[in-house]
Amino acid sequence: MAQYYNIDDIIMEEEIILVVFQVAANGVGLLDPSAETNSVEQGSKVELPFWLAQELHLRQAVAMNVLACFNQKTRKEIQADAACVDLRNRCPYFYELGCKIAPLVGDRTIGSFLLYTFSSRYKEVLSKAHSAAFAVAPKFLTLLTKEETHLYEAARSSMAAFKKWRTGGPRFERASILGIKRKPAN
Amino acid sequence: MAGQSDPHLSLFSAAEVEFLAEDETLEIVPNMKMDALNFICGDYGPFYPQITIEVPLWLAVALKKRGKCTIRPPQWMSVEKLTQVLEAERDSPREFQPLPFHYVEISRLLFDHARDDIPDMYMVRSLIEDIRNVRFHKVETGLETISARTHAVKLKNLSAMEVNIVRPFVVRTLQAFYKHDSPQMIQHPDRMANRQPQVADRGPRRDLRRR
Repeated sequence: MAQYYNIDDIIMEEEIILVVFQVAANGVGLLDPSAETNSVEQGSKVELPFWLAQELHLRQAVAMNVLACFNQKTRKEIQADAACVDLRNRCPYFYELGCKIAPLVGDRTIGSFLLYTFSSRYKEVLSKAHSAAFAVAPKFLTLLTKEETHLYEAARSSMAAFKKWRTGGPRFERASILGIKRKPAN
Repeated sequence: MAGQSDPHLSLFSAAEVEFLAEDETLEIVPNMKMDALNFICGDYGPFYPQITIEVPLWLAVALKKRGKCTIRPPQWMSVEKLTQVLEAERDSPREFQPLPFHYVEISRLLFDHARDDIPDMYMVRSLIEDIRNVRFHKVETGLETISARTHAVKLKNLSAMEVNIVRPFVVRTLQAFYKHDSPQMIQHPDRMANRQPQVADRGPRRDLRRR
């Protein structure tokens, strides 16, 4: 509940998850594009956003499959070279979603997998965030998830502020509103 | 703290750190006679020509701007001392040399306002730049060693401006690592049945810098 107003959390919960309906549901045929009648059959695979899937899972109406971004293919890629995997393409909220899904799906390895991914990516990319030259930056930036970009921007902006201060300049800035000249009212 | 301009980032702006640095005292040599100045923060005693007196930096800069004094550069700002510090920084790859906490800000203010009072100004300036680069490089290599088992990061002898630069990044990194390493996330496969809360063993305490 602490994240109720957090905009990143809201957008993150919009991610699509593949679920299998355990019960038949009437009147929600919209959810399944292949349903002929206005109801969803038991055992049909439907794509739902995470917030809906979570609620239905708690009521034991659906069974959640593992997300596409946590499957074997991604895991192998990350074990090969974590820093070059384009996580933003697959799932920009990789870590957050993993933290939320891990207690719901019966998969205990997600936690350590996330930790491994984060620490290897941190070592390669983020620890050099402060002094990364501007030429190098765009190449890495497109690979990072939302949370990693957050970290990166923090380092970058504080370094830029320091450099700006160092080059000097007037201590007091004239308020911009004083520079506006009024047109004489005719 | 009241001085934070961007509370979301928990960052002091560079100008705010400079403002805090201006409380450091240094010596000036006035060239006029003036009575004692009484401020809320203290009294700065009657000024006689050619008699050295210790004042805070903000007062020294203000008097200098009005042409009423010359500033004596602090002890650590001589070419010999700075060369020594630079050599020591380059020789010890994991330790920082003790330097005044606000050396970056003090040196910048003195270069801007008291250029002619510092002997060998260009040499001193380039030395301080080199020292700053070497120290920041050490900070960055140290940052790479933060891993999941890090509780806290200890950096001895780091100056105010350097701390200010790395503060938001380090805080967020430690938070992210903590979130991923919490005991709920890393579960042993055979403990699925009974979910007792278990204190995670985080390993021995390890400092970023050796003592």
